[in-house]
Amino acid sequence: MILVAIPLFPLAASGLSAVLPGRRAAAATTFVGALASLLASGGVALRVARGAPVVAVPGWLACDGLSALVLALIALVGTASALFSWGYIDERVGGGHGGRERLYYVNFNLFLFSLLAVPLLLELALVWIAVELTTLLSVFLVSFDNTREALEAAWKYVVLTLMGAAIALLGFLLLYWGLRGTGGGAYTWAGLAAAAPRVSPALLGTAFLLVLVGFGAKTGLVPLHTWLPDAHSQAPAPVCALLSGVETTAVLYTILRLVPVVAASASFRIGAWLVAFGLLSVGVAAFLLIQTTDCKRLFAYSTVEHMGIILAAVGLGGPLVAYGAAYQITSHALTKAFCFFASGAALLSTGTREIDAIRGLIRTSPPAGAALLLGGLAIAGAPPSAVFLSEFSILRAGIAGGQFLAVGLLALFIVVAFVAIMFHVNRMVFGLPGPAAPRAGLPAACVIALVAVAVPVVLLGLYTPSVLHALLQRAAAAVER
Amino acid sequence: MVSSLNDLAGGVFLLTAFGLIVPWQAAQSLRLFVVQSMCLAASALLLASGLGAPDLIAVGALTLATKSLLIPWLLRRTVSREIYTRRELSPVVNVPSSLLVALALVVLSYFVAGPLVAAVPRTFARVNLPIGLAGLLLGAYPLLVRREAIPQVIGILAMENGAFYAGVAIAPDLPLIAELAAAFDVLVIALVLGLLTRTIHERVGTTDVASLATLREIRVSGAILRKESGAREGAAR
Amino acid sequence: MTSRVLTNLLQVATVLLLSPLVRGILDRLEERVQSKRGPSVWQPYRDLWKLFHKDEVVSEHSSWIFRVAPYVIFVTPIFVALLIPVLTAYPLAFAFMGDMLGGGFVLALGGFFATLAAVDTGNPYGPMGASRTRMVGFLAEPVFMIVFFTVSFVAGSTIPYIVQQRWVRPLPTFFEPAHVLLMMAFIMLILAEAGRIPVDNPSGHFELAMIDESKGLEYSGRAAALVKWGGAMKFFVLLVIFLNVLVTPWGLATTQAPAQVLLAVPLVLLKILAFLLLLVVIESSLAKLRLFRITEFLGAAFVTATVAMITRVF
Repeated sequence: MILVAIPLFPLAASGLSAVLPGRRAAAATTFVGALASLLASGGVALRVARGAPVVAVPGWLACDGLSALVLALIALVGTASALFSWGYIDERVGGGHGGRERLYYVNFNLFLFSLLAVPLLLELALVWIAVELTTLLSVFLVSFDNTREALEAAWKYVVLTLMGAAIALLGFLLLYWGLRGTGGGAYTWAGLAAAAPRVSPALLGTAFLLVLVGFGAKTGLVPLHTWLPDAHSQAPAPVCALLSGVETTAVLYTILRLVPVVAASASFRIGAWLVAFGLLSVGVAAFLLIQTTDCKRLFAYSTVEHMGIILAAVGLGGPLVAYGAAYQITSHALTKAFCFFASGAALLSTGTREIDAIRGLIRTSPPAGAALLLGGLAIAGAPPSAVFLSEFSILRAGIAGGQFLAVGLLALFIVVAFVAIMFHVNRMVFGLPGPAAPRAGLPAACVIALVAVAVPVVLLGLYTPSVLHALLQRAAAAVER
Repeated sequence: MVSSLNDLAGGVFLLTAFGLIVPWQAAQSLRLFVVQSMCLAASALLLASGLGAPDLIAVGALTLATKSLLIPWLLRRTVSREIYTRRELSPVVNVPSSLLVALALVVLSYFVAGPLVAAVPRTFARVNLPIGLAGLLLGAYPLLVRREAIPQVIGILAMENGAFYAGVAIAPDLPLIAELAAAFDVLVIALVLGLLTRTIHERVGTTDVASLATLREIRVSGAILRKESGAREGAAR
Repeated sequence: MTSRVLTNLLQVATVLLLSPLVRGILDRLEERVQSKRGPSVWQPYRDLWKLFHKDEVVSEHSSWIFRVAPYVIFVTPIFVALLIPVLTAYPLAFAFMGDMLGGGFVLALGGFFATLAAVDTGNPYGPMGASRTRMVGFLAEPVFMIVFFTVSFVAGSTIPYIVQQRWVRPLPTFFEPAHVLLMMAFIMLILAEAGRIPVDNPSGHFELAMIDESKGLEYSGRAAALVKWGGAMKFFVLLVIFLNVLVTPWGLATTQAPAQVLLAVPLVLLKILAFLLLLVVIESSLAKLRLFRITEFLGAAFVTATVAMITRVF
């Protein structure tokens, strides 16, 4: 029954933060709720890693390797974001009687609730609704600043992702049609995988492409990625961490779930489609990274790039690449959350997101500067970061599999992205600060959150705990084709 | 008889989908959307008897209640009346070209749906799947070329209508909880988008969402604009 | 044999005699909707009577075309009436002389002569109206073609009697999306071809804004009566094609019994009356389009017809 409780913690916290009196109550409740779901999902992940699948309601709620991994990542990033919000939101909109703060926490908890529901649900129609809710419940977080830009970003975000969700809906309905055509069975991931070989390949292929394009919009895959840098740069930093770190991952998870289903049909070349879509995203993002002028947009484009890498890796096929992809999911979620915390810290100490306006951050605000440098290095994939390890394992396994062209292009784009990110981060962290640059400290909660996330970001590059290794292997088995 | 009436509903559904790409006043688009939703509900109710799926009766009733009553009411409540009488004077694409694009989209949807329908012979899907797909694609068109907020909202809702129109024929026995959740979901969409439109109207002073285009990677103008917003944020602190 | 000839004659007589009545009813209905009393439904007959008894004035700059055109305009709808099912559901003697395309061409011949005659006189409004009519005409042409081809694709023939039997009669095919859409497209065509409101304002008196009416401005006396009568018959024939072939093929005579054929006359008139009500609603709720937006209107008709074709072909 613990699975039922996991999303209910934030839901309860949402209600409580709306009604509890006291200025800090909302922030504290949110943190406690997120922490509770983190502990619960950590426990679930441990049990799954040991080889015991966790089933709450057969056919509706259960957890296997891949979903446990995504679940734990969402809970972890959610907890860190709740902690970071404690300092960040207070700094930005604090004072007064805290009405806007309260509103923020209510929305934040609802968003976390919808995110946690995505990997837990098995029934595909409900998964679709959970994904739709992640959009609807996060709109007002994106537009939280209520500036012209924030509202523009929120509008683009909601319109494009809802459009994608409608396209994906038809894909899901087609899958259901295929399932019924074979004589029925449960409309769950497992039931679908079992029935897939008997479904017509044309149907599977069309349905998969509809889901790929539709949910690809929400994941930030290239033809429909335009909303992503806007939304991920305008939202408050802790929300960006959730949006960029785990929301994209949670939606990508639903696409990945379909991979083994569709791979069962012989005539539809799913691998080629995934590699093409993935490489397109990586390539476009790598070159957009060069010309960006906004520090949060920089990390947002890097999200597009990483989603592309994961998709291409899954498309390459083979157990080793799949393991790399699972590792990439983990490392990207944590590192990207850290990057957005760092950019939030930079925003708090400089008051701007403009790359050209930030200089010598390491002098004016050492914690923010150090965090931004570490984040930049880690997300660009400098050794020995976790991202480096996962990207390297994908490339190595791809070459071992003999797919030189795809791997070569992937490596080229990754290098371009690395250069672009490091160029911008270098300019912001080092260099001479302007004469009027303010000197400001960081709230304690922000520093704690930064350190808490920095530990796994650095550590996972050096050493993979055996529990995580086991979990990743089970996750990889779920996306392998 | 059931099949004939379902065909009729399909034809009207397709016509309204076409109507939605023409730049009418927002109120007119909303009326077309209501007619389209009624076609969807009619198709659901007809198929309930045609396919012997009692769930579809609930689906039809829910569609009728939410999409043709509650959503128009919600949208009219949240957004001020004046916006609904506004007409786009300079459409991004002129009407004949829009119609030709729409034509191409319908050809595409019949082309895509053809092999799927051929694979699984089922009479209702022959009508509903291609028309639903066309409704989906035609609903996406206003999102790309219309400037005003309300027509874009209606575009999204019309896309969902298209998907569900195909759905009533190809997935008539979805679990009822999913159908209930979907109806609720559509309501939340209308509410959230209506509130967002209202906020934009209040804060920015326009519902011409196409004019909201400051966020992009153009260095010169973008840098200036973003400096302004940076300064505003600095002031807010 | 004689009964066949009689039926044919009756068919022509119906078109000839009832067409002014339809015009009169439409005018009266439209005025009533606008809360006016409106002219009597017999007014077109009185107009024709009056015009036939007036002297004719012909410009001395005009050529033979100007004098011949009224007769062509008058005769062509009668020819078409022989090809289409006006009263009977079974083909009559001339039914296989021409198909729907042929009928379309014969009607277009009348329009062609009207245009030439308008240019012929040197009246400045004539050529203007003629060129506008041509513009509407060439925009409507492709729609006509697609409607006819869709219909013939479905029915396997372009003979109106066969179309009506094969496609429109059976109930399941009646409700097909293709059929519904074709009906829509054809209504739009009738509005454009007959110069009704979103395209042209038939009751307007301002020459600069006229499309259809300005072509006949130079005619007087008997020629004017023929042009008017011909216009009314063309409208009647279009309505008959629409109602008897494409929409409501019911109420037509199925045997050669004279009583049944005679009974079909009021039934057809009833159907036309019902359609006129719809037409009045459409015309009263729309405003006349600016000239350059007519492309949009006919573009919509084109798309509707093409979609109808697509839904059938795939």
